[in-house]
Amino acid sequence: MATAQSERIFVLPGDQIDPSLIPSHPKKALRLGPGLRHIPPNELVPTVAGQLVTDPRKNSIWVEYNGGRYVPTVGDLVIGTVHHSATDYFYVTLSSYTSNAILPQLAFEMATKKTRPNLNPGALVYARVCLANRHMDPELECVSPSTGKADGLGPLNGGMLFEISLGMARRLLMRKSVEEGKVVVLEELGAAGLAFETAVGRNGKIWVNSEKTKTVLLVGRAVKETDEKSLTVDQQKKLVRKLVREMS
Amino acid sequence: MPREAEPSLNERAFVVQALQEGLRVDGRAFDQYRQLELKFGEQYGVADVTLGKTRILVKVSAEVTTPYTDRPFDGIFTITTELSPMASPAFEVNRPTETEVLLSRLLEKTVRRSNALDTESLCLVAGQKCWSIRVDLHVLSHDGNLIDVSCFAVVAALRHFRKPDTSIEGGHLTVYTPAEREPVPLSWLHSPFCVTFSFYGEGEITILDANLLEEQLRVSSCTISLNRHGEICQIAKLGGTPVEAATLLQCASVALNKVKEFSTLLDQKLAEDAKRRNKGGLLAELSAENER
Amino acid sequence: MTVNSEPEALLSHLQNADGSATFSFSGYTVVGAVNGPIEVQRRDELPEEAAVDVIVRPAAGVGGTRERHLESLIQSTLRQIILVDNFPRTLIQIILQVTTTPENEYVNAKVAQATSNLPILPALLQTAVLSLLSAALPLTATLTSTSLAVVADGQSKKVVLNPSPREIETSQSFHVFSFTSHDELILAESEGSFTVKEWDEAFSVAQRQCCPPTNTDDGDTLMDDGSLPGANLKQFIRSTLEGKIASDLHWK
Repeated sequence: MATAQSERIFVLPGDQIDPSLIPSHPKKALRLGPGLRHIPPNELVPTVAGQLVTDPRKNSIWVEYNGGRYVPTVGDLVIGTVHHSATDYFYVTLSSYTSNAILPQLAFEMATKKTRPNLNPGALVYARVCLANRHMDPELECVSPSTGKADGLGPLNGGMLFEISLGMARRLLMRKSVEEGKVVVLEELGAAGLAFETAVGRNGKIWVNSEKTKTVLLVGRAVKETDEKSLTVDQQKKLVRKLVREMS
Repeated sequence: MPREAEPSLNERAFVVQALQEGLRVDGRAFDQYRQLELKFGEQYGVADVTLGKTRILVKVSAEVTTPYTDRPFDGIFTITTELSPMASPAFEVNRPTETEVLLSRLLEKTVRRSNALDTESLCLVAGQKCWSIRVDLHVLSHDGNLIDVSCFAVVAALRHFRKPDTSIEGGHLTVYTPAEREPVPLSWLHSPFCVTFSFYGEGEITILDANLLEEQLRVSSCTISLNRHGEICQIAKLGGTPVEAATLLQCASVALNKVKEFSTLLDQKLAEDAKRRNKGGLLAELSAENER
Repeated sequence: MTVNSEPEALLSHLQNADGSATFSFSGYTVVGAVNGPIEVQRRDELPEEAAVDVIVRPAAGVGGTRERHLESLIQSTLRQIILVDNFPRTLIQIILQVTTTPENEYVNAKVAQATSNLPILPALLQTAVLSLLSAALPLTATLTSTSLAVVADGQSKKVVLNPSPREIETSQSFHVFSFTSHDELILAESEGSFTVKEWDEAFSVAQRQCCPPTNTDDGDTLMDDGSLPGANLKQFIRSTLEGKIASDLHWK
């Protein structure tokens, strides 16, 4: 998609978008991604500073940027901390200083009134945002409503949580994170023979677990350094080699 | 009131587990500080200090006022530490949090009560006119260990500061502008620094320069303020798990080493800054000529 | 002390804030941080839109009426460009910490600073906008701001752009203007005595400064007419952000 783009198109809030850039698909409706505002009848205006990206195949257009605070969107996978629980809900913190998201106690795989999980304040959960709009607190689920399967969602036990930028989280969660997101650090660490598991939250968090404390620290540090120092694919490989050598 | 997200149970367990194995999350050694950087401003008395992701800006200013009636021979010296929501939205304007109160008390004890600044030298006309030296401390970014960084920044800014030169002729006070006479440094007696120790487990694990996460998880902490000659200004161990006397003694000797490092760094930076300013030394020469 | 005639900025350098910027121009340096949308206190909650909170802190001394005045001016200006109805019942907090103000070599600096409140306003507004952009908060437009002084020049009067503290002191009137990137006037504050004609003149100089004819539609380089004194702030914001986005999206 982005590879088809020959040059970067940089936009500021309020800029005019050249109509020729807006994809026009004969059948599909135009899909607007983040960072754009539709002013009826037919004006499209960017609301953030970023790079304008279009996907003619999906007939979608959005502004790619990194930074800011996480704003919940339906379908996002997030890592939250249980703040407290009430009769039917867990109240979950997704980021500091924002109001809590709610997670129904029955929104877990195989959960019934008798078998629902018991999560203490401070427990981590990996969940999907299933309801998010500006007037309500976001709602989460740890089970797929169609299949009734957890699909890897649910409480996260042990391990360590690391903070990453929202852009990094987005790259790690891409279906083709190596080709499109240009992040190979986790693959390289796995190839180096380290055994660990991870969960990435779109709200800028990565959870890492392993039997060895050292491995957890190494993985966390590698991901954070890739993020903070904007490492290229080659630099990531080099970093992993260096870290693995230091550990052994 | 917006609240700070508490560390999760997983983080709590992991950080402590790692410490017990001798590891810190950011890979530092237990007695290792993050990268400490000091920059002086274009103006005198401005110090910008960063320690990892913690960043503090201190500005010193001076003005002529009347001294307190009960202390006619002393100048006025105040340190203001108001934490703004810039450091964290949990800090509210005009509502001091515990962090802020503790920080200002410690600076008060370390810098003001230890007579680091000779306040008598600030007196101009006894009972009538004196200098009021004001230190404003701004926390721009808070990632733990505010106390050590603040103290370092305050001392750095005060030592860098120059107040306008004055003269008294026949009871008449003249304050010279920087264009007329080069400003003069403060009469500085010694440079105290704070070193904060954080304890984990039963108090047997001791680390230096805890970041915000480590600070949230420590079982107790202890701040020792002293100067390079080993003269201790204060020791604060406010509640928390008790710590063995032997550990405290150990801490004191570690603190002395760290303070010597801080002292050397500050002296070096001050010398560098003086050299840099002297390059445009032409200006100073010119103003000296103009006096006559 | 050197006064920089070219604006300088550093973006997203405070890691704990959602957005941050340091902006220096004509002797002023301001550090700005933006947090939001975050939870708002009940008493400040607005049911249909985000509350915008602006906090201005002086380099020395505690804030007073002067800071409150600036805060209210900035707050009412920024509310118009932030898409506040996107985040009802939340808070967008903008903290502006002044770190440097231009020094007058001939007057002793005091805790109580210049008599006028306005000279620092353009720097504060510019910092706030850069911080908001760094926090990726949705905006309808960006804005640029400038200050002018009307100084007596013998018999006639002349308009001075970005005046120094000394020029402000001797001026007859002082004006601050802000324009959105759509070239609409969003803020006009004046001090001193002036005629309508003088104001008009100041306004047109400010307009030429803040809304230079640019060819931004396709992101092309700006037409260089070279006749404008001072910096082109509009172009400055664009190039600053372009640099940040390019480094953020280095992987694209």
